[in-house]
Amino acid sequence: MIAASRPIQRPPDAKLLVIDRFCRITHNRRSDFMQLLRRGDLIVANDAATMPASLQGKHLLTNQRIEVRLAGRHSLSAEDVLEFSAVVFGDGDFHVATEDRPAPPGISAGDRLALGPLSATVKRLLDHPRLLHLQFDGTPDEVWAGIARHGHPIQYSYVQEPLEMWDVWSPIAGPPVAFEPPSAGFALDWKSLAEMRTRGVRFATITHSAGISSTGDACLDRRLPLDEPYRIPESTAAAIALTKVSGGRVVAIGTTVVRALEHAAEPGGRIRSGEGVATQRLGLGSLLFVVDAILSGTHEPGTSHYDLLRAFTDDATLQRAGLELEARGYRTHEFGDSVLIERAESNV
Amino acid sequence: MTGSLDNTSRTRHGDDNRAGVHNSIAPETGPGSPDLTPLYGLRVAITGGTSGLGLALVREMTRRGAKVAFVARTPHAVEQTACSERAHGIVGDMSVKADIHPIAIQIVGELGGVDVLINNASDLGPAPLALLGDTDCEDLERAVATNLIGPFRLTKALLGALTASAREGRGAVVVNISSDAAMNPYPRWGAYGASKAALHHLTRIWGEELSEDGVEFLSLDPGDMDTPLHALAVPDADVTTLKQPAQAAIEIAYAIAAALERRGVFGPGRTGQKAGAR
Repeated sequence: MIAASRPIQRPPDAKLLVIDRFCRITHNRRSDFMQLLRRGDLIVANDAATMPASLQGKHLLTNQRIEVRLAGRHSLSAEDVLEFSAVVFGDGDFHVATEDRPAPPGISAGDRLALGPLSATVKRLLDHPRLLHLQFDGTPDEVWAGIARHGHPIQYSYVQEPLEMWDVWSPIAGPPVAFEPPSAGFALDWKSLAEMRTRGVRFATITHSAGISSTGDACLDRRLPLDEPYRIPESTAAAIALTKVSGGRVVAIGTTVVRALEHAAEPGGRIRSGEGVATQRLGLGSLLFVVDAILSGTHEPGTSHYDLLRAFTDDATLQRAGLELEARGYRTHEFGDSVLIERAESNV
Repeated sequence: MTGSLDNTSRTRHGDDNRAGVHNSIAPETGPGSPDLTPLYGLRVAITGGTSGLGLALVREMTRRGAKVAFVARTPHAVEQTACSERAHGIVGDMSVKADIHPIAIQIVGELGGVDVLINNASDLGPAPLALLGDTDCEDLERAVATNLIGPFRLTKALLGALTASAREGRGAVVVNISSDAAMNPYPRWGAYGASKAALHHLTRIWGEELSEDGVEFLSLDPGDMDTPLHALAVPDADVTTLKQPAQAAIEIAYAIAAALERRGVFGPGRTGQKAGAR
């Protein structure tokens, strides 16, 4: 597929491929998404804002330039920002494709990193020379200030102009706990939220710390998604229960919502509200207890996002859809076109 | 204009000392009002928090048990106020586009969400005050950037967090600090008055558009106060006739509590409990 190379969250010509529960494929304008919803449906979106998680700096032992991309945290607690897991690159930035980036210098536990106004210690390597656990110096407020003022949004070479924070800040963005934007939510704006009300469609949010989508290293990419903390408000759990009882559909906006809701699902489809850490991988054969449909980007086979779609519909249908996405010039990646996939009857 | 001007709410020069004509804040509530405990646990963001009304608001909100993050331009003053008021201090300039998202990240990151936003940071325009014909375009632009566009940008960046609070039953309130100069065409208050008039109207439209999303928008005129900025605007004012910023802060706290009550967020137990549950 063609990469969407301009950072426009809602291009007027955005396309939407729909796979319904009978595995039928149709093509729509994404701006018509609301018309595909029914009274009683519930939209659940991830309201995590994107933190500027790319930090340029130096590995002090070798004095070599590095880029650190924050990639994971223990919890969503506001104070819990001293420790992160992170992926490290050598000198350079997003202009070079991740797989072509030079390796960082050899990094060991105890090494010090200078990242603009921030400084950090490498606590340990996470079974890979480029994935590490780091601890920032200072107070949580100092770390928030350092990240907010020094960091840049993580980005990839298919978008050549530097991303600004407002490029990745979705209209509904709340807590800045995502490392990359939960970009399926780019499709929503305040007009669509008002339209939902008019159509009798409910809206709820969760907060899920969306991780990074690519590391440039095949071995590391196979470990994605990393564990991701999430929080489900009581009001969202209640809205899901109400939707289930009344026969509406729970429509997840993005893979992170599916991961969180299914992780918090209890037998019978009820949702545990509160905080949790999603550790599971969803894919072919995964049972979906809560989510009836997903709005997502267009994903290439072999990625963890694509794998998750296999929980919704069968491989033959996804392959058919893949051919249509190619043939009709759908664009991919976070600023690209979308798919709406209803859980197949056969997967219920 | 000097560097200290953004941190204080400006008020009009004062031969007319009545409360503002629009959403004037309840003058009958005095210090020690017993019913303000619902602010316990509220997550409150205040711009222009190191002097004048902003500082008084930081003090009043923390005194009422709110979790407060405030914004101001001068690092040293931010550090001092953060330390003395036990609040989260954020360095940033509301008139600078590139500062807004870093400010929003720190507000929501440090508080874990936001229930109340008070856009208080204001710019007087030319100092000393000047007739419009004598006002430099740059002075007008800076007043509009600080008093109108900055609050618009920050409110927009925080809308997701505010509406999430509303959905979760915590309530959500945006207070934009206005002035009677927004309503009346006082000569020499052109840059300030025009930018505040625009902010006032913006507030009303936000309120119409987001009412169903549960966000209350208040445009509040604190009246003429004894602040450094008032002194700058009206050097010869009789300060004994001016309101103390602390009194205005109490009235604003009351207006916020009343707005939360209108939205069904009642009483100390409920708000405190929900906040504590996080």
